[in-house]
This record gives sequence, C-alpha cells and structure tokens, in this order.
Amino acid sequence: MNEPFSNRETVSASLRETAACIAAAREPSVLVDEVLAAATDSFFEVESPLGTVYVAAGLEGVRYLAPAASEQEFARRYRERFGRFVSSADGVADLAERVSAALAGEQVEVPLDLSRTTPFQRRVLEVVKVIARGEVRPYVWVAGEAGSPGASRAVGNVMANNPVPLLVPCHRVVRNDGRTGSYAFGAGEKIRLLRLEGIAPEEISGCPYVATPMTGVVCHATCRNAKRIQPENRRPFRNIKEATEAGYRPCKVCRPVVAA
Amino acid sequence: MRTRTRQEWAAGFDPLAERLADGDPLAPRVLVERHYSELYRYAFSVLREERAAEDAVQDAFERAFSALGRYSEKRLRAMRLRPWMYRITLNVARNLLRRRREVPVEEVLVAGDVGDEDREGVMDVLGALGRLPERQKVAVTLRYMQDLPYAEISRVTGWPEGTAKTLVRRGVMRLRKMMVEDPGGSQR
Repeated sequence: MNEPFSNRETVSASLRETAACIAAAREPSVLVDEVLAAATDSFFEVESPLGTVYVAAGLEGVRYLAPAASEQEFARRYRERFGRFVSSADGVADLAERVSAALAGEQVEVPLDLSRTTPFQRRVLEVVKVIARGEVRPYVWVAGEAGSPGASRAVGNVMANNPVPLLVPCHRVVRNDGRTGSYAFGAGEKIRLLRLEGIAPEEISGCPYVATPMTGVVCHATCRNAKRIQPENRRPFRNIKEATEAGYRPCKVCRPVVAA
Repeated sequence: MRTRTRQEWAAGFDPLAERLADGDPLAPRVLVERHYSELYRYAFSVLREERAAEDAVQDAFERAFSALGRYSEKRLRAMRLRPWMYRITLNVARNLLRRRREVPVEEVLVAGDVGDEDREGVMDVLGALGRLPERQKVAVTLRYMQDLPYAEISRVTGWPEGTAKTLVRRGVMRLRKMMVEDPGGSQR
C-alpha cells in the first residue's frame, strides 16, 4: 500500500483498498443506538384507564401520551405535532414502568417534558398536574392558580390540547357549575374516569361547593376537608359567592376562587 | 402502500422515505443502519480521527432527522435519502475540519504511530487525499473511497457529471504526482 501511485489504476486501487480498511472502531449496534437516542425520541405502549395508549419521550421526559389505532398512526401524529421521529429503543423500560404505575393510580413521579408548550400552557398544566386523584377543580380555579384569573376559557383550550392526558389529569378539571363538561376523548369517558377515581359526578353537578357551620369554612366539594364533613352538617352551594354571602370563608387548603 | 412503477424506481424513489412518512417506527433505525458505515468512512477519510468521525456522523443524523421531522408528508415521501444524507455529512465534516484548522490541535496524523502497518498505510493515503484542493478531494473521495457512480456524485454535490469527472481525473493525477515525489506521504 505504501508503494507510490504510479498510474491512475493503482491510485484508484489504492484508494479502494484504503476505503476497505476503514470501519468504525466501536460496535456498530452501539453506534446506531447512540445516534437514535440523540436524534429521535423513544416510544412505548402502556395500559391505562383509557385503554392501550402510546407514550413518546425525549431525554428530558414524557412529551406526548395518546391512544392510537396503531403505532404507525401514533408515530405520524407525533411527527406532525412535534416535528420529531419516534423509534423503539431499549433503555426506556424504567420510564415505561413509572408511567404504567402512575396511570394505575400510584404515587410515582413521572418526568414530563413540556418544553413545546407556551409559558401559559405550562403554568396551567403544572397546576392541573397536582390535582389529586379523587378530587376535581373548576376551570376558574385553575385559571386563578395559574396566575391568570378570568382565563377559564383559555384553560379549557389548554385542557383540550393537553399533550400528556392522564399524567396531567385534565379530566379532573370541570365546569365552573360543577358539571363535568367536555373531554378530548369524549364527555362520557371523563365521567367514567372520574367514577373510577371514586367521584360521583352527579353529586357535584350544580353544587360544586360544600360548607359546614362547624368551622364556617366553604370548600370545593371534593376537597379532602369537605369529605370529612358529617352528612347532617353539609351545606351545598352552587357558587362561592352565595357561600361567602352566607358568612362562610374559603378553605385554605383548596382555595376556592371568590368571584370578583 | 401502493406499488411503485419501474420509472419511479429509476427516478431514485426510496421505499424507506415512504416508510418514514407512514410513521413506521422501525424506519429511523433502518436509515441509520443502512448509511452509518459509508458515512463514517467518508467522515473518517476527511477527519482522520475516530472520535471526530463518530461525532460527525451522529451530528449529520441529528440534523437529518430534525429536518425530516419538519417536512410535509409529501416532501418526505419524495426524498432521495442517500445523496441527501451525504450532502449533510459533507457539510458537517467540512465544518469540523475548518474549525479544527482555526483552533490548532495536536497533529492528528500521529494517530498512525501505533505501529500498525495497515493503519499507517491508510493514514498515508488519507493524508495525501487531504492535501488535494477541496473540490478534488470531495470528488475523489466520493468516487473511490465511497464508490459512488458519477450520477450519484452529481446529486450529492450539485455539480454536473462532467465537472465531477474532471475533478476526479485532476485529483487522481495530483495524487499520483504526490506519491511519486513523496512516497511516505504523510509528513507535510
């Protein structure tokens, strides 16, 4: 190979011979995995109260959760929405387990990557994320907690486009009058999910607040304090204004919004 | 998935582009597996260093997927992926090389002094290749290191085939001269 290139044929032969000697030093499959981990997002399938759903995650956490007819359909929708490809990769088993446990109702921290949302959307999603299982909150409350009182309708839009339903439990956000309202996967699904979590939607509908003369406090009907009120002391209210006019003060735990 | 005509195949239709557009989750892996070694060979030929070649190829794929992710389904379906991957890798490798020249680092060619005769020979040839003018180097590398036909070289570089042929011929002549004058080759 060190012989001088004496004519065109030996030059090309020498180049070809050189080319044949060049190969990646490390295991090809390792290199391919590294490329895929850096250039694409991973995805997996998991059981949920909505049936089988697909989950896509980047290095920072879960970006998208959705039911889909097939993994192809999910991958296509993900590319349309996030401009990224998903590829099945090893190394997401731990995350898949966490997601699965969280969807089964366990208290597990699931890293979420909400970087593709606007600051307002993110604030709303962060507020909704901590609504506990077995409780619901009205849109107006979410808007206030997110620092944008009066933005109930905008909160509704964020809920409709929630990239990670169930993980950010938008089904626990209900209309200001206590009716369950709409849901990205159907109003009936919302009611079903809430029942699974131990909520009786018909009890909240029309009277989303409960007060007790024992403490003089008014709560959201599903607040953990409200659940402890004895049946004979329960004073249901249609809105918080009537409750405050009747002399009740808002609960400090669930912080119901006093309308302006 | 509809079947393709012979003309479409001749026009460079790539079934993998269709799979990517259809959301086949195995398609990204197939793309990387299909082109990794040839792109690595190109990057190594230019950069002459393993780690740098690996980084260049990874960077090229990251750019590729990020661009493809934003393409419309129609555009994605019509992609000629191979020359396009080459074009990105060419740019990435050229930029890395330029940056390396701006910030002088230790002479990379001494990587050959592990005493491995094969490796020394490879480094000699690549060293000579690296001393060609940019366009000749690209043309010769694509033609003989990557074994691309002229039509493909033309698609990668955007040069007419005739230009590619001329560049290869001149590059080879120059290499021959170089090696006759300085058969050891690598010391500049």
